[in-house]
Amino acid sequence: MIDGLVRILVFQGIGEVVAKFVFPLVPGPVIGLVLLLAFLAWRGEVGEGLEFVSSAFSRYLGVLFVPAAVGVVMFWPHLQRQALAIIVALVVSVAATIAVSAVIARLLGRGKSDAA
Amino acid sequence: MRPEFPAIHEIWVYLSGSPLLALVLTLAAYQIGVMIYERSSLHPLANPVLIAVTLIAATITAIDMPYPKYFEGAQFVHFLLGTATVSLAVPIYKGLPSLRGRLLPLAAALLGGGVTSIVTAVVLARLLGADETVVGGLYAKSLTAPIAMGVAERIGASPTLTAVFTVTTGILGAALGRFVLDAVRCREWWQRGFAIGVASHGIGTSRAFSVHAEAGAYAGLAMGLHGVAGAIVIPWAISALR
Repeated sequence: MIDGLVRILVFQGIGEVVAKFVFPLVPGPVIGLVLLLAFLAWRGEVGEGLEFVSSAFSRYLGVLFVPAAVGVVMFWPHLQRQALAIIVALVVSVAATIAVSAVIARLLGRGKSDAA
Repeated sequence: MRPEFPAIHEIWVYLSGSPLLALVLTLAAYQIGVMIYERSSLHPLANPVLIAVTLIAATITAIDMPYPKYFEGAQFVHFLLGTATVSLAVPIYKGLPSLRGRLLPLAAALLGGGVTSIVTAVVLARLLGADETVVGGLYAKSLTAPIAMGVAERIGASPTLTAVFTVTTGILGAALGRFVLDAVRCREWWQRGFAIGVASHGIGTSRAFSVHAEAGAYAGLAMGLHGVAGAIVIPWAISALR
């Protein structure tokens, strides 16, 4: 387990350094993710320790963004005034996103799934 | 009378000064959220994050704890967001074989969905009079939350608003997805799952997994690819347009 965590932290560290000096617009952990992905593709397997740590993170991902989300208390009056705009934007946007993605996948993917 | 025993308010002063209180509050509230979510047989509206945030917000308001003070303790949990982001490489790596033979439709669906997500939200919110703080929080809302918050920092938006809009988007996508997909007559599980994953990241993905395994796998892949692509493209596009 520790070996998996160490590997992830090392890639996170490399990602932060690369972000700081090479790609300042990309979040460091995302660069770490891409580098780890390249490492896994090169090695051809995930390994037990990494597997364990990553499935633990996936399982409890939700709790990690609770502290930041609680900050909504500071925006509360602000959000209440604009509640209608926010709700309409979020609902319409998510429905449109699902519809557009699905239609594109259906139109371009049709031939292949029939053949398969 | 036992004078060596401290008064209640002294215990309180001690506890509220240490990070323990915020940490316990965060984990306990999330645990309650998970219990309610499981009791509701995984109903998307009983989202554990939403429940936890509501409980904690109510508690810190009731005990008069300012948010920065709460965050000081809870930052140990917050710190792991970056680490969790890196670990997403594993599920993406395992999902890559699903791309075989479907690369073109999936890449096009991701691009179309990603652009739609930002443009519809930003344009509508502006039209309806939302200010720039709120609009800034909408850019990354379809990315998985840990990545969305990293993107928010890079584009000068509020990570808090981004987190809240991201979770809300996930819940809405999980709740509405089925109806939208039926309305556009999308029937293949891989297409349905992918569309849900593009729009509503992890929350949509867990919903998709509970409906169909293939849909879940493609939703997870969409979430990962959208997260990586969005993190690279969104900050760059915004800085180019400014």
